[in-house]
Amino acid sequence: MTEGRWRRGSPPDHLPGAEPPVPSGLDDLLTAVARGNERAYDAVYDLTSGWVLGVARKVLRDPAQAEEVMQEVMLEVWRLAGRFDPARGSGTSWVMTLAHRRAVDRVRSERSRAIRELRAATAVIDYDDVIEAVETSLDAQRVQRCLASLTRLQHECVSLAYYGGYTYREVAEMLGVPAGTVKTRMRDGLIRLRDCLGDVRGEQ
Amino acid sequence: MTSGDQDLHTLAGAYVLDAVSDDERGRFAAHLAACAQCRDEVDGLREAAARLGTAQAVRPRLELREPTIRAAYRTGQMGPVVAENELSDRSGRRAGPGLARATRWGLMAAAAVAVAAAIGIGTHYADMRGRAGHGPAAPAVAAVLSAPDAVMRTASVGGGGMAIVVSSRREHMAVFIAHGLRRPPPARRYELWLMGPRGERPAGMLTVHPRGMAGPALIGGMSAGDMVSLTIEPASGSLRPTSAPVVMIGPAGR
Repeated sequence: MTEGRWRRGSPPDHLPGAEPPVPSGLDDLLTAVARGNERAYDAVYDLTSGWVLGVARKVLRDPAQAEEVMQEVMLEVWRLAGRFDPARGSGTSWVMTLAHRRAVDRVRSERSRAIRELRAATAVIDYDDVIEAVETSLDAQRVQRCLASLTRLQHECVSLAYYGGYTYREVAEMLGVPAGTVKTRMRDGLIRLRDCLGDVRGEQ
Repeated sequence: MTSGDQDLHTLAGAYVLDAVSDDERGRFAAHLAACAQCRDEVDGLREAAARLGTAQAVRPRLELREPTIRAAYRTGQMGPVVAENELSDRSGRRAGPGLARATRWGLMAAAAVAVAAAIGIGTHYADMRGRAGHGPAAPAVAAVLSAPDAVMRTASVGGGGMAIVVSSRREHMAVFIAHGLRRPPPARRYELWLMGPRGERPAGMLTVHPRGMAGPALIGGMSAGDMVSLTIEPASGSLRPTSAPVVMIGPAGR
């Protein structure tokens, strides 16, 4: 492998005195990061690292591991920014997809059988956590309001999967509901959540 | 649309919530590639799922900011050309079939960088890459890293350090790398294992180099559901693990 086939940091558009302007929206920032713009990356870090850490903490429930995952994800954001396609979704969605997936991968690879069972026993508490405000931002309040509009089963299915990192089969086992039902509730729960939250992209 | 497609289609929610097995993820991603309407639905549901995450935001410690940002600057970036080959998987979560070998080496190197950054002792990118490219197992290691189905997983090691496993189901092999490993006690060594439906099989002894780096170690004979694990054993090695694994990495829940 040659060095040239792999793009390294400090690309030409970061020459001293030739700093390009830094855009303000996350989507535009990510597009700039894809071209190696370091100042845009600083801004992306400031905008998104708190979200990434938040979801990692929620899924992993271990502050130290959550910080590691946050750092890994922020490196991925830099490395993979060229894959962000604004036509397919918002920058928020792209970053959070990376973050959630990484947190879930970590929690699944680390959880021993015993820990899984312990967590299953306390899963009801996990679900109630969701109702509690972690942050009283408008966004969080709105998400809670929308979550509260789901049926109880939809809410449980979505929360255990997203915040607990469980597969739909595990959720089915925990709730004593057929896997097919859980699968369906996850989909229609998310559809209801999407409709309740409205067009996210317009708000960025 | 056949009933099979319909069944797959209802997986959209679980897929977006990362609540599917690796197999199902693969099948659903293939389904997405052929169904524009499904892609639209998944994109929309992802926006909603993202809000579940952003609603949990917490402020990271300020001390993390500079090291993380600086580690990023030192990391190579994937060009957008890859994205064009890989429109069906914009998540970038794992190496897909469209990735060139160079990019895949990059994936490994970036993993090394991520590990180094996460434990705060600087990057050993060139070091890791150099070591991956030498030795008798180098061609097999390269084969795993460049396999179209290569999957990378990372985990912290009990007692310190991080481990990375890149595995290819198609090649029935995995490559193990660790960083920041604690030295084993006197007369003891680390031993790798495959643990899964076929039981526990020894997968080789692991030598710890300076800075706690170990590997790349090639692990053959992997079968579906196997996890790679590491234990501390007598220096001559054991036929069965005699201590609890310090790390286990692999497909969970299967």
